[in-house]
Parts: sequence; C-alpha cells; structure tokens
Amino acid sequence: MDIDYAREASVIEGNPSLKSIEDSISKPLSTKASWKYWLALMFTSSLLITGVVCLGFSFYYGTGLWGNNNPVGWGFPIINFVFWVGIGHAGTLISAILFLFRQKWRTGIARFAEGMTIFAVMTAAMFPLIHVGRPWLGGYLFPYPNQHALWVNFTSPLLWDVFAVSTYFIVSFVFWYVGLIPDFATLRDRAVTKMRKFIYTLFSLGWRHSSRHWQNYEMVYLILAGFATPLVLSVHTIVSFDFAVAILPGWHTTIFPPYFVAGAVFSGFAMVQNSLIIIRKVFNYEHIITLDTLEKMNKIMLVTGMMVGYAYGMEFFIAWYSGSQPEQFAFMNRAFGPYMWAYWIMITCNVVSPQLFWFKKIRRNVFVMFMVAVFVNVGMWFERFVIVVSSLSRDFLPSSWAYYKPTLVDIGILLGSFGFFFTLVLLFAKTLPVVSIAEVKSSADGSQPTHHGGSSHDK
Amino acid sequence: MDIMNNSEKKNGLEPMKSRNELHKQDAVPEAIQAEFGEAVTAGFKLENMSGLSRRKFMALMGASSAFAAASCTEYRDNGELMPYNKKPESITPGTANHYASTYTGNGHGWGILIKTREGRPVKIDGNPLHPINKGKIDSAAHASILNLYDPSRIKNPKRMAVSDMKLNSGQYQPASWDDADTEIIASLGNAAKSRKEIAIVIPAVASPSQKRLFDEFAEAYPTARFYTLSTFADKARQKAWEKCYGRGSFPVINWEKANIILSLNSDFLGNEGNTPEQIAKFASRRDADKPDEFNRLYVAEGAMSLTGSNADYRLRITPEAQLDLVFTLLNELCTKGQCSIACPLQLQQQIKKYTINGFAANYKVSAETLGYLLDDLMANKGKAIVYAGDCLPESVHIAVNILNAALGNDKIYDPKITNTTHSLNREGRIDELPAKMNSGKVSVLILLDSNPAYMLPDDYRWDEAAKKVPMRIAMLETENESSDGFEYILPIHHNFESWGDSHARSNVYGLMQPVIQPLYDSRQKEAALLTWTAAGKEAYTYDIYHKYVMDYWRKKIYPALNLAVDFNTFWYSALHDGFAMSNQSSHSMPVINISAAIGLKSISNQNFTVVLQPSHSLGDGTYANNGWLQELPHPITKVTWDNYAAIAPQTAAELGVEMNDLVEVSIGGRGVTLPVVVQPGMAEKLVAVELGYGRTDAGEIGNNVGVDASVLMTKQGGIADYIFTGASVKKAEGTYKLASTQEHHNLTDDMTKDFQYIRDIIREASVGEYKKNPKMFEHLKHEFESITADIEYPGIKWAMAIDLNKCIGCTQCTTTCNVENNIPVVGKDQVAEGREMHWMRIDRYYGGTPEEPIVRHQPMNCQHCDNAPCENVCPVVATNHSPDGLNQMIYNRCVGTRYCANNCPYKVRRFNFFDFRDHVADSYYKGDSMDLLHNPEVTIRARGVMEKCTFCVQRLSEAKSNATRDGVEFKGEKVTTACEDACPANAITFGNMNDKQSDIAQMREHNLGYYILDILNVKPNVTYLSRLKNTKSEDDITEKTKLDDTKLDDTKLKNTKSNDIKSENTKLNNIKPEGT
Repeated sequence: MDIDYAREASVIEGNPSLKSIEDSISKPLSTKASWKYWLALMFTSSLLITGVVCLGFSFYYGTGLWGNNNPVGWGFPIINFVFWVGIGHAGTLISAILFLFRQKWRTGIARFAEGMTIFAVMTAAMFPLIHVGRPWLGGYLFPYPNQHALWVNFTSPLLWDVFAVSTYFIVSFVFWYVGLIPDFATLRDRAVTKMRKFIYTLFSLGWRHSSRHWQNYEMVYLILAGFATPLVLSVHTIVSFDFAVAILPGWHTTIFPPYFVAGAVFSGFAMVQNSLIIIRKVFNYEHIITLDTLEKMNKIMLVTGMMVGYAYGMEFFIAWYSGSQPEQFAFMNRAFGPYMWAYWIMITCNVVSPQLFWFKKIRRNVFVMFMVAVFVNVGMWFERFVIVVSSLSRDFLPSSWAYYKPTLVDIGILLGSFGFFFTLVLLFAKTLPVVSIAEVKSSADGSQPTHHGGSSHDK
Repeated sequence: MDIMNNSEKKNGLEPMKSRNELHKQDAVPEAIQAEFGEAVTAGFKLENMSGLSRRKFMALMGASSAFAAASCTEYRDNGELMPYNKKPESITPGTANHYASTYTGNGHGWGILIKTREGRPVKIDGNPLHPINKGKIDSAAHASILNLYDPSRIKNPKRMAVSDMKLNSGQYQPASWDDADTEIIASLGNAAKSRKEIAIVIPAVASPSQKRLFDEFAEAYPTARFYTLSTFADKARQKAWEKCYGRGSFPVINWEKANIILSLNSDFLGNEGNTPEQIAKFASRRDADKPDEFNRLYVAEGAMSLTGSNADYRLRITPEAQLDLVFTLLNELCTKGQCSIACPLQLQQQIKKYTINGFAANYKVSAETLGYLLDDLMANKGKAIVYAGDCLPESVHIAVNILNAALGNDKIYDPKITNTTHSLNREGRIDELPAKMNSGKVSVLILLDSNPAYMLPDDYRWDEAAKKVPMRIAMLETENESSDGFEYILPIHHNFESWGDSHARSNVYGLMQPVIQPLYDSRQKEAALLTWTAAGKEAYTYDIYHKYVMDYWRKKIYPALNLAVDFNTFWYSALHDGFAMSNQSSHSMPVINISAAIGLKSISNQNFTVVLQPSHSLGDGTYANNGWLQELPHPITKVTWDNYAAIAPQTAAELGVEMNDLVEVSIGGRGVTLPVVVQPGMAEKLVAVELGYGRTDAGEIGNNVGVDASVLMTKQGGIADYIFTGASVKKAEGTYKLASTQEHHNLTDDMTKDFQYIRDIIREASVGEYKKNPKMFEHLKHEFESITADIEYPGIKWAMAIDLNKCIGCTQCTTTCNVENNIPVVGKDQVAEGREMHWMRIDRYYGGTPEEPIVRHQPMNCQHCDNAPCENVCPVVATNHSPDGLNQMIYNRCVGTRYCANNCPYKVRRFNFFDFRDHVADSYYKGDSMDLLHNPEVTIRARGVMEKCTFCVQRLSEAKSNATRDGVEFKGEKVTTACEDACPANAITFGNMNDKQSDIAQMREHNLGYYILDILNVKPNVTYLSRLKNTKSEDDITEKTKLDDTKLDDTKLKNTKSNDIKSENTKLNNIKPEGT
C-alpha cells in the first residue's frame, strides 16, 4: 500500500457531510431523553443527595463526623480536592496545549474535556471550603478590604490555592464559552421552538458566521489557549505546594510540582477517556471520537503513567540519598507500614496497569482500555490518599502517631462529589453540544482549503 | 463566732478572708458570715427580687434590649452578664482572690490555695507555705474543682415516699431540712432508747474537730458506732510498724537524704502515699547541676509502675517474691558481717537459705544487678532506704523494717514528724457491720460521704444487709451505689463550701474554709450531725460548724501552742495561711523488735497472681464522675476511660491474646472479664488491674466506665488485701476497644524501634559519662545558616525549660493545664479517634526489650518556635508570633483549615472537631453550674477552632498589666505557668530568657540542654535537659545515646567521629551506603 506520510490522516472517519456532522452532534439536544438517561440522572443525583445530606450533618455537628484526628488533620476532603483538580487538567491540556500544537485529533474530544474541567474544578473547589472547621467563615480566605485591617497570609500555600483554583476556573470557563459561541449560533439557526431560539440567541452573542467573526474568534481562541497553557502547569504545581511547602517528611519534596502535573494529566485523561467511551457509544459518535483518538489518549496515559512511576521511584531514591532518617522512614512506611495496602493499590493501578498500553491491541480494545482507565482513576485517588494520610499519620514524634480511618460520612461526601460531577456532566450532555460542531466541521475532509483544490488525495 | 476588736488588729496579719472584718462594726456579724452572699448565685434568682423598683425596671429594660440585640447575633446567647450594683468589699471584678484551705480528699491534709473570681472558685493550687505539700498537689486535687460544679450533685434533701403518701413507695419526694431533722432526731432517740445501734459509716478521720464531734455524737446517742471505710489505707504497714516498733503511726521519710532507694512494689512516685512530697524530695536529688548528688533508684516490682519506669535498675519479680528478696539482702548482709543490729540466731537460721545466686536463679533476675544493689546498700548504710509498697503483705513490711534497721537506714526517718491517726471513742469494725444489720441490731444507718456498697468486697453482701435497717440516711454530694432506696438522701457541702480542719501530720494543723456560698440546699455534714447531737432542729445555724471548729481551736489547739498572741490573731493568721504549726514531738526512733520477723515464710505460687491497684487518676473510684480525671492518660499505658488487665508480653503470647482482647480472670470462683493491655516489663504470670472503675451510680460521666474489679476481692484478702495468688486467666471471646492517647507500637518492630534515640527526641547518658565530659552532647548541636534575617526580640522573650532528670511523668501538669485553660473533656469515643484536647501531654517511649523495657517520659507542649512552621501556612494569619516570642492563636480569626496542626512537627495543636462540651454525655458539661467553673481569663474555644498551649498568656498579661499599674519595669520575673506551678518535681522552669539573671536563661545555656528535632531549624523555645541515668559506670550507655548524626541530616556535621559509631539495627540503615 502506498502511504503518503506527508499527509495527515483524517481525524473524522467515514467522510461525513458537514450537515450530517451538525445533525449527529445536535441530535441529543433536540430529542427527548431516553429512560436510560433518566435512570443515569437519578443515579447520579441520588449520589449527590447522599453527599448533601452528609455535608449537612457535618455542618450541623462539626468535622468530628469525619475520620480526621489529631495527627491526620487532612483526610478525605483534601484527598478529594487534589483528585478533582487533577481530573480537570486533561481538559485544559487537550483544549489549549494540543490546540497550540495543532493536534487536530483533539477536535472530537476538546469540548467534552473542557466541560469536564469546569465541573471537576467546581467539584474540587467545594472541598477547601467545606473541609474547614468553620465553613461559614470561608470568606476570610479571600483578601477583601475590611475595617479590621485584617489581611490574608500570602505565605500560605492554601491562599495560593485560592488564587490558583479561582483563576483556573475563570480562564477555563471563558475559554469554554468562547469555543461554544459558534455552536450556539448553529443551534440557534437550527432551533425549532421559540424558547430554544431565545436561549441560543442570547448565548450566541450575535454570531453570524461572518469571516470577520471567525477571524476575531480564532485570535481570541488562540490568546485564551495561550493563557490557559501555563495554568495546566501552574494549578497543580500550586496544589502540590500545599504539601511541598510543609515540613512533613514525605511532603517536603521538590519533585512534587512536576510529579503532580504529570499525575493530574494522567488521571484527567483517564477520566475523559472513561466518559467519552460512554458518550461515543450512547450518542453514536464513533466516527467523530474515533478509535485513533482514543489510542492517542492511551499513549498519553502510558507516558504520564510512567512519569508518575518514575516519580514514585525517584522519591525513594531522594529519601535514601538525603540521608534524612525521617524522610527515609516516611517512604519505607508508605511501602511497608500500616498503609501499605493503599500504597500497593496505587502502584498496581498507576504503574503496572498502564503498561498494558504497550500493546497496540490493548490500546485499541475499548473494553480493556476502559478498565485500565478506571484503574488509573482509582490509583490516582489512592496516590493522594497515600500522600496525605501516610505522611500525616506517622511523622516526627512516634508518640503522636495514629491510624486514620474514614467514616461513612467521609465516604458519603466522596460519593456526593462523584454525584455532583456526573450530574453536571449528564446535564451538559443533554443541553450543550458535547463535541464542537464548528471544530469538527473544520477538521472534516475537504473543509480546509488545500493547494490541490480537493478534499482528498484519494479521490 | 467571736468578733475581734479593731484594736486587736496588728502585725500585718491581715487575713484575706476577713477583709470585711477589718472595718466591721460589731453589730453586723451576720453579714460577715454571709460574705459571699452577694457574690455568686444568691442575687441572680428572679423570685428573690422584690417589687419593681426604678432600678429594677431600668435593669429589665436594659436586659431586654440586650437580649433583643443578642438574639440578632449569629451565636446563641450564653446567659446573662450582670454587673454588681453594690460592689462587695473584698471583690474587685476581674481580680482574683486566693483563699488558703485544706484538701482532705485523700487524708493527707494538703494545704491548698483556692483562686476565686467574682466569688466562685476557678482553680486550686498547692499552698507554697504548707509544710506537708509545699505548694504541690496531685491530679485528683487539681481536678476536684469539677466536683464542686458537678451537675450530678444532689440539690435538695429527698425523702423516700412511704405508703401513706400519695407517691408510690420507692419514689423520692423533695423534703425540707426541718422535716428531715425532726424525723431523724426522733429515730436516733428511739434507737438510743431501745438500745438499737446507730451505725455511721465514715471515711477515715483526719480532722480533730470531726473526731470531737463524732465522740460527742456518740455520747448523746450511746448506741452510736462509727465505722471507718477506707480503701488502700496502708493497713499492712501500720500493723507491721505496730509489731516492729510498738506503734502504728510511722514517721515521715526524708527521701531527699537517701543516696540509694530500693522500692519494693511501691509506686511512691505514682499513687502511693504523699506523692507530691515524695516526688519533690526524690527529684531534688536529680539535679543536673549536682551530678555528684544523684540518688540511685532500684525498683523491684511486678507490674510496671510509674516508679518502676523511673528506676535506674529494675528487677522484675512478682509480689510473692518480695519477701525472699528482702531476706536475701538481709542474709547476705549478715553473712558479710555488715548487719548493724544483732540478729537473733533463730532469724539467721531462718534466712540462711536465701542467697543472691539462689534468688537470681529462682526468679530469673540478674545476679549482677542484685550484686550492685547489695554493694550500694552496704556502701550507703544510713543513707539509703528500702521501702515496701502499700499493697504488700505485712510480712514484707516487717522484713523491710528489719532490713532498714540492719542497714542503719532508720536514720532516714524523721521520728519527730509522724503521720497521725485519729481513733474514735466508739468505733466499730466494718467487717462486723453487715452481720449486725442482718440480725436487726441496727436501727439507723448513716452513710457519711461514703460508698460501702461499691467499695467493700462483694462477700460482705452489703446491699442485702443494709436493706434490713429501718432508717437509712445517706449524706452525700452525689448519689452513689449505696444510697439507692435510702429513706433520706441529704445533700452535703462540697469542701469548698465547708469549714473544717485537719491534723494528718503531727507537726501541722490545717484549716479549711468555705470559698463560695453553697450552690444548693445542702448542709455541711458535720453541721447536720451537730444539729442531731443537740437533738433539736432549731439548733441549726449555717455557721454552727464554723463556731464548733473555732471553739475546738480555741480550747484545744491554741492553748497547747503557748503563743504570745491572742486567739483571734492566731485564728485569723491560721485562716490566712491555711494552717498552723504545732509543737514538734520529741519522739526518737523506737528500738526495733527484731523477733517480729521470726517465722515469716515465703509464699509459693504456681498460678497467676492478681494485683489490684488504685486507679492512677480515680483513686478508689470516688472521682469516677470527674471527666478530667477519667480522660487523664495512665502515665504508662496512656489508656483513658477504662481499666484493664495488664499482662506481660510473654504471658500474653502464651494466652494468645493481644491488646484489646478480652481475658477472664478468676480467683476461687470469683471472676471478671477484662480487656488486655500487653505491658512490657511486667512480671510473667502476673495480672495488674486497677480498681475504681465499673461504677454504676456515679453520674453521667462515671457510670459504666471500665469494669468493677473489686468482685475479685474478699473479706480476708489474698496474701495481702489486694494481692491474690492462685488465680487463673484465660482468653475470653470478643474484643473491647481501649482508648489510648498513644499508639502501642510493638517493641520488636525493627521499623519503628528506638525512634526516640534515632531521632534524638530523648537524649540520655549516664551520670558517670556526664561527669567525665559535661560537654558530651556538644557535637549534636546544629547551626544553620538562614537566608533571611532572624527576628530580634529585644524586650522580653518567654521560654521554658523541662528537666527530664526531674520529670517522672506524673501527668499533674496535664490536669492543672486542663483546669487553668478550660480544656474540655472529649469522651472516650473521641480519645479513641485521637482527638484528646490536652495542651500539655506526657509522651511515653519504650526502649529496650519487651521483657526489660526502658521507659522514658517527656512532657510535650507547644514549643513556641521562633521559626514556627504552623505560622507561615495559616492562610488567614490566625496563628502568629508575638513580640515577646509567643506563638499565639487568634481564635476569632481561625477558620479551621488544620494546616497548622499538620505542619507542627510536635503535633501539639488541638482541634475542636466538635463542640465537645455539647458532645460529651448528652451535653453534660453544658449544665448551668458548669459555667461557673471556667477560668474567665481564658476563652472557651468554639467548634472548628484550633487551639494549643499559650504559655498561660493570661498570666503573662496579668503580670504585665500589674507592672504597668505599679509603674515598674516588667522583666518577667515571678511569672509562672500553670504546669510549672503544679510540677511536684520542679522540672519545669519558665521565664524571660533575655533576663540573663533568670533561671531560664541559664537553662538555655545548659550543657545538657537540647531542642527536640532541632534539625528542622524551627528554633523551639522549650529547652529539654538530657536525662542522666544513674547507673554504675560498668553499665554506661554510650552506644545508645551517641547518635549517628548522618541519619538525621547531612548538613553541618560538626563531629565526624560520630560516623564511626555503630548504627542501630533499623531497616533503614540497610539501605544506607557505606561510608556516608
């Protein structure tokens, strides 16, 4: 077979017409939801309600309902926070960095990944606020001018978190919305009911698909992508500072920023992949979110998974190399102490399971890759568990060591966070185009001007 | 009472109590009596308010607008705040008054100072002038203030309903004291007439006025008999002294004069005898500045006691081996011709078979240590003391007396000061009382502040017997197991509401005075008895016992002292001081009757031995309803809220049990199921159980905490009252979670073993090494370069030093800190979660082997680091540094991220996971009376707020403002923290380190001083003095203490020699490259 390597393979399969792309993407928005959708929504919203009830109890009685104890001041809420912030990272990476690198295969998954970013950051942002002893005073964390002349502490990584996460949320949200504007206009033009027409008109901000609009749009999108790119690195770097700036053995390490970013991308891709596999199946987007795209994601997971694995190994090496006994013990304790079960779950899920992606067959097998991505998500949650809990439960003075056990309320809130996230995802899937219509159209064969005047060499 | 003339006032002997009386008129003596009337509760009752005067109207208007305003705030209204509209003369709002009084909780007659604020007691401390306890008390005494405000206190007299009343029998109805007096006096009269006995159960009498009262009562009612109920009363020692010296009152021991101390199963540093005095005297010979004067402590014991944990040499033997040990020492002494007394031949024959080698082989102890002991005793004749524990049988006490005499150690006794006993004219034996009640010979039973149903062994069958008495009267502060179903339950005053005196030591009389208006409709128990003695309810006045005590002092004590001053001056001066010295007796040590030891036989036992001990915090269970004491960690096991069976690791392995498993302990058919604590250092086949738990009618807090192990006891006792041989122990089904404040690490776990040494948390050496090279720890000091400028503290800089040589781990600092700083009780469930709130804790570390552990104690509070890691991580600056070097908390600002606690390497920060006062026992500690308890200078922390040791900042501020008021420069002298005040060993020094003259400045520079985890460069302001172990030079512990510095950090290694030292066998070292 004569393959022209100078030519990019099309990211959209089956060479669909532009109309059919528009039709298939907007179909879920214009049709009634099936009973499966309602069942899924009921499931996620009952998880959400569980979380809300557990939170209500926690607010009424106090954080004592959780497993946190004296050495282990942070438990599930902070673990969940780091986990969900990490989930968000894949979205920005796909939509901004891959955009700057002109990776066309991102078009099928970018919108959905961005949406997930926003929901994940929303989920994550809840936790720093609810985990505090007096959540009703959460406003103290923001630097607002006040008569007491009280100011926040700019040396505290928790404050950096506040800025990092809120910046991240705002930029991601604007980026996402800007990307949505042409699609809103398309939906407005397709709308059959007055109500829809009104809403889409409102959100499309007067978009008329004019060349001038497109020109401005491309520029804004490019600038926003430029804005968002450093955030991919900075947000999780700052989240890692929560630990790295502390003096605790096992936390106080310089490897944390890159290690956390790699981990975040790793888990984010796993979560996006998991969700997209369901979406492409349910909404018949196999030709838009192609197996090639999924395979590429798997490759990224393989790379980031090995980066994470390298970090695990390097932590041990540095602990040994530092000659610091508490540091050495912290890592021995992770692997062989009371929390070794969590550590080995983490290693198995994060380091071992992605190794399957070395095999092309597995990379292209939807079921297996789905399972691996689930493993990765579990493993990455446990990574945060291991970091937070094992270091805190056994730090400098053996006299204050204690074992941390989560309570049912902790688990309820964790489930609630999943409920919150997936409820938003489901609502998103039913109200907005989960794939960018404009971008997919633009990457469909024949949509871009070529020197050959044709859409394809083959034809 | 008599009122003195103004003219008689002189010499500055102005008693604080009588400030009113200084300017009094003779016409108003009543007002003086009711000096607290305006202070606390009396004025607050709405029903007592007269009609609506203008003032009241304004007050109500003001109050209602205040309530309206308060209801708009987010916090619930916490009650009314009322200013004095007429200021009582002795009370200045915001200024504390201190009253001297006497603590009688344990019969030692300790002098106390009660701090009152606006007429309510808020803190108890030892009276520094008092000759017995010299300003120190124990945990129970510190915490006993909680009992005054205990919501379980009986508030009114109660009468059991009889059939003709409308209520069902078995129900109580409120009664008046008048009616109670009338009926009781009639019953008493009838009993006396019909020659039926009036039985009165009392705690041991230590008060001379009380003794006189009881004797007078017995005269008025000739059939009255008094029965003393006292647990752990040291009876064996008394009997032994009677046999050896002809009298049961034994002299005070000058512990501070002993070079060598051999403690036989005695926890004299823990909970036996006059602990504050004993600890102080013991610790005075552990002064790091005088290494030549260190005493050496040998402990031979079975269970691991606090004393044993402080031993230089510890012999692990069961109680039944103690007699053999004493005879071994005596025999070796005689064999070597070192016996200072003429031992009768018969005795020599009797003990001939006891030799060191034989003993060592028999009981598997080190013959070398025994050799050291013998050498030391012989080398320090007359300068050593052998002391047998309260629990040991009489035979051991006799043998010990003879051994001490043989060594000339009776010179250590101070025969001029003896512990006095007060015998009553009509005293009965409590073991005969149940039989008398059963036979119907008793027609009135009065329980005077005692609890026989709980305290007595079950085979007395007290409950059954007591039911046969027609008239039963319980006079108690809180209801207890014994008072159930009694005809009358009468509330009595707490000690802080009472008058009284005490004569526990021959050289001192203590006085007790009320410091608060009675909270409830209670009466002083003595006042009630006086009323009944006078056989007329009209005889009662509220000051009846006050007058009685004064009268006794006027007639009996004052004349005997031959003072130059008149009685009133004497009385007010004694009241001011809280005590009066009496003439010392001219007793000398009597000659010992050596033949008392003839015929004493060793005890053999193949089965388990059970030792029942008083609870370290609750004593015999009297304090069971005191949450602070229930939550005080046991000094060795760190278990709270429970008792347990402590057994040796080897024995536990044989039984197949671990911590929290249940075992069934049974002796002759009496059995009890207890959770296990595997206690390193226990003798094998020995079970140690604490009494004082398992109460069923103690109150919300104390009910059903732990197991009542007194079911193992019998009238006769075992080989001693509290030691039983021939017990069997077997594993029982199930487990029971004990709540301990420290995890129990396996001593054999290589991964975590000896961290206290590896991480340089505990630094120690032997006295010999220290004398050879006082700068032996110099190489461990670290100096770091900082990239930022250090903050200067030009004025005052507060610092603390804790001397690990003196600290014995008694936990009194914890209790006093709880009281001073309003630290809540969190409950067993929360301790189990690891959420105890103690600002000051004692860390316990095990080293050595499970069989022969080395136990170390280390008080741990906020270190107030200069580079505090907690401060830079708080996002809202709720914790920050003061200009005088304190790490401070702003509770209002704290949102509760807990980041500071995470980043604290010492883990001294405490988080309010709940509103703990609300959380414990259904809001028990939110009762109205509890509001009066709190120290008004210390904020009650809200839920969700972080807290920690403040170095008692309220005391520092007070001292500073006093200095400002007086116009003097404040240098920080004479300021103490609560823990420093309370430490019986004087191990804590606090002060301004910038004042170069101060003790603290010198401690900071001490050769032995070190900072825990100084490798982190957090620059703590608490200096610890390394512990010196007074072992023989042969046993110098070089290997253990010289740390391999590289393991902690590779920066700034000053002394490369330490690399040569062999490293500890931890796993971590295995991954270390050679030559680093």
